[in-house]
Amino acid sequence: MTATYLVDTGVFVRCGGPDNAKFQRLRRAIRQSGTELVIPQRVYEELGGDPTVEEYPSGDIPHPDGFEDGWIVVGDELAYTDPRVSTIMDDARRFIANETERDEDTIEKADTALVALAAQLLETGEADRVVLLTTDKPAGRAAEHLLSERGFDDRIEYRYVSEEYLETITASEFR
Amino acid sequence: MAKSPISSDQAPLEQLRTVADLLETPALARLYAYVLRDGPVTVADAVETLDIPQGTAYDYVRKLEAAGLVAEISDGRPSEYDAEPVSLTLSTDGETQTVTPALVAAVARREEDGDIDVYIDRHGLDGLALALDYAFEYVDGTVNHRIAARELDLSPLEAEVILQALEPVAAEYATTK
Repeated sequence: MTATYLVDTGVFVRCGGPDNAKFQRLRRAIRQSGTELVIPQRVYEELGGDPTVEEYPSGDIPHPDGFEDGWIVVGDELAYTDPRVSTIMDDARRFIANETERDEDTIEKADTALVALAAQLLETGEADRVVLLTTDKPAGRAAEHLLSERGFDDRIEYRYVSEEYLETITASEFR
Repeated sequence: MAKSPISSDQAPLEQLRTVADLLETPALARLYAYVLRDGPVTVADAVETLDIPQGTAYDYVRKLEAAGLVAEISDGRPSEYDAEPVSLTLSTDGETQTVTPALVAAVARREEDGDIDVYIDRHGLDGLALALDYAFEYVDGTVNHRIAARELDLSPLEAEVILQALEPVAAEYATTK
């Protein structure tokens, strides 16, 4: 069963740019396993949304040129009109609001993009299995919880991308 | 003769001077964070672990001792020192900020962590203290960079950069916050 790997903004910050060993290690692991990383449109926008972040050592994101080598691809647009997608976005907003003790109105639909894209890939049968690589714990938990409720419990996995995870990652993580 | 345990009954304004130095001098902050975490330690331990000149280490220890933040706890040879957790609350018109060991530890990382350094340059120490509060929540899993970005008025990318940079500090001080 092949998996689709959905990747969040925090993973690229953690990697620290193309000159960094962690970035190179991740790229090698992905290439060796013959897979690719998929980023939601929202993440693509976040990564390129603030040029002033280049002042930070970890803000050296290869955007967008680095994404043209083919190992990172931008995912499909979210099908907002598909009730299976829009419903999970609403549920995810509620779940994240609850986890973070925030008012639901302050959680934006865009905050749920990772969860929604995972749902879309599974519901349409485009992916057999989805693995989320993120540092967004509330969203990761929302995806596992909400997609399990919809019967995808053995087809959704959330991995928290810590420093240690990236320092030891190999192609076997993507098989 | 054993010395008395550390007392934090130092006059606040006297302590303020040293606390200001702690926030301005990453090497001093590193020494204080080290003694607090690993104490009791000797000055030689600090010199070896932190790679700072011996003369500087003695000067720093004396400075912290005078402010009641560090105390000699045995007069054996060599002397051993332990630290008292700093807690200094400052209020200006409507704004209150507390200097905590975690904040000092965050400043202490400034020289080795360019992300923290750039953040302080851009947002000041008050900005850093605020971001540190969010880093505790980030470690707990009760906030993410998107919510933090809106509440701190940063871009999501900048929020994620500083939350990750402060994550080790928040994880270390989570129980003593």
